[in-house]
Amino acid sequence: MASVSGRFINQGFQTRLTYLATHARVVSALVMREMSTRFGAKPGGYLWAFLDPVSHIVFLSVIFMAIAHLPPLGTSFPLFFATGYIGFQFYQALAGYLNSAVSGNKALLSYPSVAPIDTMAARYVLQLVTTTIVAIVVLGYIVFTVRHPVSIHLPPIMEAIAMASLLALGIGLANAVLFVMYPIYEKLYGIVTRPLFLVSGVFFLPDSLPPIARDIVLFNPLAHIVMQFRTGFYPQYRAAGYDGFYVWTVAACLVFLGLVLFTTSRGRLRDR
Amino acid sequence: MIRLERATKEVRMKGVRKMIIDDVTVTFPRGKSIGLLGRNGAGKSTLLQIIAGTLELDRGRIIRQGKISWPLGFQGSFQGNLSGEQNVRFVARIYGVDTDELVAYVAEFAELGQFYHAPVRTYSSGMKARLAFGVSMGINFDYYLVDEITAVGDTNFKRKSQQTFKEKLSNSDVIMVSHSTGTLRDYCQTGIVLENGQMTYYDDINEAIAVHESNMKRH
Repeated sequence: MASVSGRFINQGFQTRLTYLATHARVVSALVMREMSTRFGAKPGGYLWAFLDPVSHIVFLSVIFMAIAHLPPLGTSFPLFFATGYIGFQFYQALAGYLNSAVSGNKALLSYPSVAPIDTMAARYVLQLVTTTIVAIVVLGYIVFTVRHPVSIHLPPIMEAIAMASLLALGIGLANAVLFVMYPIYEKLYGIVTRPLFLVSGVFFLPDSLPPIARDIVLFNPLAHIVMQFRTGFYPQYRAAGYDGFYVWTVAACLVFLGLVLFTTSRGRLRDR
Repeated sequence: MIRLERATKEVRMKGVRKMIIDDVTVTFPRGKSIGLLGRNGAGKSTLLQIIAGTLELDRGRIIRQGKISWPLGFQGSFQGNLSGEQNVRFVARIYGVDTDELVAYVAEFAELGQFYHAPVRTYSSGMKARLAFGVSMGINFDYYLVDEITAVGDTNFKRKSQQTFKEKLSNSDVIMVSHSTGTLRDYCQTGIVLENGQMTYYDDINEAIAVHESNMKRH
């Protein structure tokens, strides 16, 4: 008896290994596919990933240099806006890309071995790596060219990235389903989240706002993420009001809800 | 072997519910090709999707042993912005077969010439069909799911694809949906008739065809 049940357990384990191997294979194939459609099709390729943050940073720096004498932190406008914008992009670029992961790969879901969740995993990996490379290049360039030496502290930066990417994953999982089910919601979502950039503390510090405005802005977990990201570049920055526990809780809840929604409607995601 | 156990699937199309299979238990044995018969809208294509794994059952379960193809004759799974070759690479990767080997096989089989390296959206429907057929012949599946195979290409290509497919069937089985009883007799030894949510298995395709034809006369 023992040997029989032992063999069954072994079989189950093997099946699970095969499943995992299939998922890993499919995700890596999707990553390669996404890379060639997203960057390979346009001339300039990967450079496009840099164009968006660089243009924003330059634009913000030029405008604010005209109005203000010094940035809210340190002396470099580009560093201030780069830390804000790129910290924000770890959420924004990822969420935007994940929202359309399933609809953008609809045709490929007719291959039985491609599961809807694989498209999410592939885009998550690809965008996280892309934003990280952009961050290293852009921030690295600024850090090495500013007059005053910058001391970089990695742990808060990495925590901010982890929080941002989980938040984006939760939102992306939920939206991938909801956009398909309720097209009207997609429109509303676009309108409601458009000002997100303005209220996430990208070009100001939430701690320097009047108390009421600050309390409202700090409901936005992204404001905390940007604050934490900046802490890694400005050791003197105290980030008053930063609440890591709050962000982790929101992120964990969103990922949980997103996964539940995604798993229960995966049949529907394939149908269309 | 593919086995459905107490399987139930209902589909909704524009608010109309339709029971495709209702508490069905049936085994598709390995080593015999099966023709799937049923009236229009009985759910033959849905059933193929369930077997392939792109649709889930409402209740019951399906046991699959062996490598099962996606429903052939289906061309929607190519990414229009990628070239034929890039699409073939993708399929090779997800099925874990040698990429270069499959790319070379399809290049020779599909006879697309320079178009092989052009985006699939520039293809004619015949070219897409040749690409799709080439890919599916390049991977060794245990079961080929075929939804209304339509002959593609000129006479030479037709002859070649028929011959290749027949060769494949010495090691693989086919589960085929077709309205042409001639095609079914040609490829399948056994048959299943899908009627009113029930599936009946017949050892002999001719018997299945006879039952199906008498079903059609009753209404």
